[in-house]
Amino acid sequence: MPTSFDDQRQLEETKRLLARAPIIQNACYLDLIVFLHRHPRALLTSEQLAGFVGYNLKETAKALDAFIEAGLLEPTTQQSMHAARMLVLLLDGPQGGGVRALLELASTREGREGILEALRGPGPRPDRPSTGPELRLVNSV
Amino acid sequence: MPGPDLVKTGIAGLDEILSGGIPRGNVILLEGAIGCGKTTMGVEFVYRGASQFGEPGVIVLFEVSPDKIIRDAQGFGWDLRELERADRLRIVFTSREVLRQELQQADSVLLEEAARIGARRIFIDGVGRLTGGNSNGTPEARSAFHVFTEGLHRENLTAALAIEASAYHPGEHASLPEESIADTVIRLRMEESQRAISRSVEIVKSRGHDYQMGRHTFRIIDGHGLQVYRRVQAPRPSRDRAAAYDPATRISTGVPGLDGIVNGGYFVGSTTVVAGISGVGKSVMGLQYVAEGARRGERSLMLSLDEQVQQILRNAASIGLDLPREIERGLVRLEYEPPQEIEVDAHFYRIEQMVEGFNPKRVVIDSLSTYGSSLGTQGRVFRDFFHALVALMKEHQIAAVYNHENPEMLGMASMMGDFQMSSLVDNIILMNWAELGDAFRLGMTIAKMRGNPVNRFTHEVEILDGQGMRVLPRVLPVPPEQHPFSSYAGLVSRAPERRKFTGSADEK
Repeated sequence: MPTSFDDQRQLEETKRLLARAPIIQNACYLDLIVFLHRHPRALLTSEQLAGFVGYNLKETAKALDAFIEAGLLEPTTQQSMHAARMLVLLLDGPQGGGVRALLELASTREGREGILEALRGPGPRPDRPSTGPELRLVNSV
Repeated sequence: MPGPDLVKTGIAGLDEILSGGIPRGNVILLEGAIGCGKTTMGVEFVYRGASQFGEPGVIVLFEVSPDKIIRDAQGFGWDLRELERADRLRIVFTSREVLRQELQQADSVLLEEAARIGARRIFIDGVGRLTGGNSNGTPEARSAFHVFTEGLHRENLTAALAIEASAYHPGEHASLPEESIADTVIRLRMEESQRAISRSVEIVKSRGHDYQMGRHTFRIIDGHGLQVYRRVQAPRPSRDRAAAYDPATRISTGVPGLDGIVNGGYFVGSTTVVAGISGVGKSVMGLQYVAEGARRGERSLMLSLDEQVQQILRNAASIGLDLPREIERGLVRLEYEPPQEIEVDAHFYRIEQMVEGFNPKRVVIDSLSTYGSSLGTQGRVFRDFFHALVALMKEHQIAAVYNHENPEMLGMASMMGDFQMSSLVDNIILMNWAELGDAFRLGMTIAKMRGNPVNRFTHEVEILDGQGMRVLPRVLPVPPEQHPFSSYAGLVSRAPERRKFTGSADEK
């Protein structure tokens, strides 16, 4: 919980940033977008990706689909012979600006913690799954 | 017959030892232990292609994240993000399993991506475990690598593949299965000498063209990238410049009285060693030589390993030479290089650059003995370096003077023994002290002068504050009595004694 006026102000600021990037629903979405920002052109299977970010396959696949739908990832068709997909991050779309600001904040440990705090707090974020960073098994990135 | 289509790496100095580049389509193995510079070399290969030669490229990474590669490249002044934005570069993060599958498929997503930007080069960082381990020479490993390279050939990509080879000392290096399949093998090493480490690059093999063998030094330079320095012993491509040989022109030494005993001066393109113990005035002589050049409007370069530039200027001022003015006029260049841990290839490259850029007629190197103590006189390094230096000066028709701190009071044993340089030298001037009465006086002997008549008289020399060095006239009011050799015994054993004549028949 925020303990000082500065902390409270920071939390409000983070919430404002999250409001500009409504695609970021929970910790998995955040960590996945951070990974994709560091690896903006990744040729990986979904299993490998889930392993890298440390969430289960179902959650990771859901976040991936959401990013593709929002235009943050180039939609590459998965050919039947290929287990891997080329995932290309695009930050030029309508949500790109908000995500960029969030990525900048998430680049520090404190910033990421602040975002996770804001994501946990009360507020209208539909489809919020129950899993959070406290359930992560691996963070290999 | 047209030569091979060579891909220039663009890496400074590397194309020179590759005789222009690497044949297009070659699979290049960059092998070496961790920290040798494989990734930097591979990234630079792709970066130079995309930025200088209109050849887009792909970088494939397995363990390092692209943002770190981009950050590190920024330190060399390479803007990889900009190249990505311009569709001239793709940095792909993947896994070895995926890549192996990809390159075995006709419709590889990776190769499609490469084709989309018209890629001609690809760098894959860390192919070792892709094919079953570093020193795993099994037929399966060879076969896996073969299939892998076929995928690259199919797209006509010139591919650089970094592979970790942990054992890299001669005799310890187990042959990698990848080495026999790759077209070009470039081995990077960290060489240990005393407590210093230097990097070297060796072209182990390269199909389809000529290249310079041996280990060449390289450095990774901030703001620039790799710089390869050709092995000092390697043949220089411009050596035939020495054909413009001038056998007649002499240049003045700048020491009053000295020109007279060296027949008017040193020949252009000649090599002169001034040898003597510390304090006899070798550097003073060098400064006067440089100043004389400036006086005549000739460019002179002095390279010192012993004294820093400010100290040289102070010494010059003390004998009345205004070198700052000559430097200002562009006629004199003074350079200091600390002698500790000289990397001989890099050092020679620097001298080469100075000679080619400044184009001096006179050069003074102060001193050879410091090179000797830095490079070591055992083994071939010093001798090969000196050989290359002499050749470089001759190519450029420079009259070069090398100071040598001779540990002996007299003689040249050190030049013939440890330093093994006397045969390369045209002129040897010995400076020495003579103790007469209660004073040391300075003497000079021309011990060797190639192609000139030499007298081996020892001439007296003096060095005066504000005036410098001069050779004193040899005044002999009464010609000395000359005795024929037959008047002596022990001449060859260098212990001559006047013979005592008894008048017997054997003495005639």
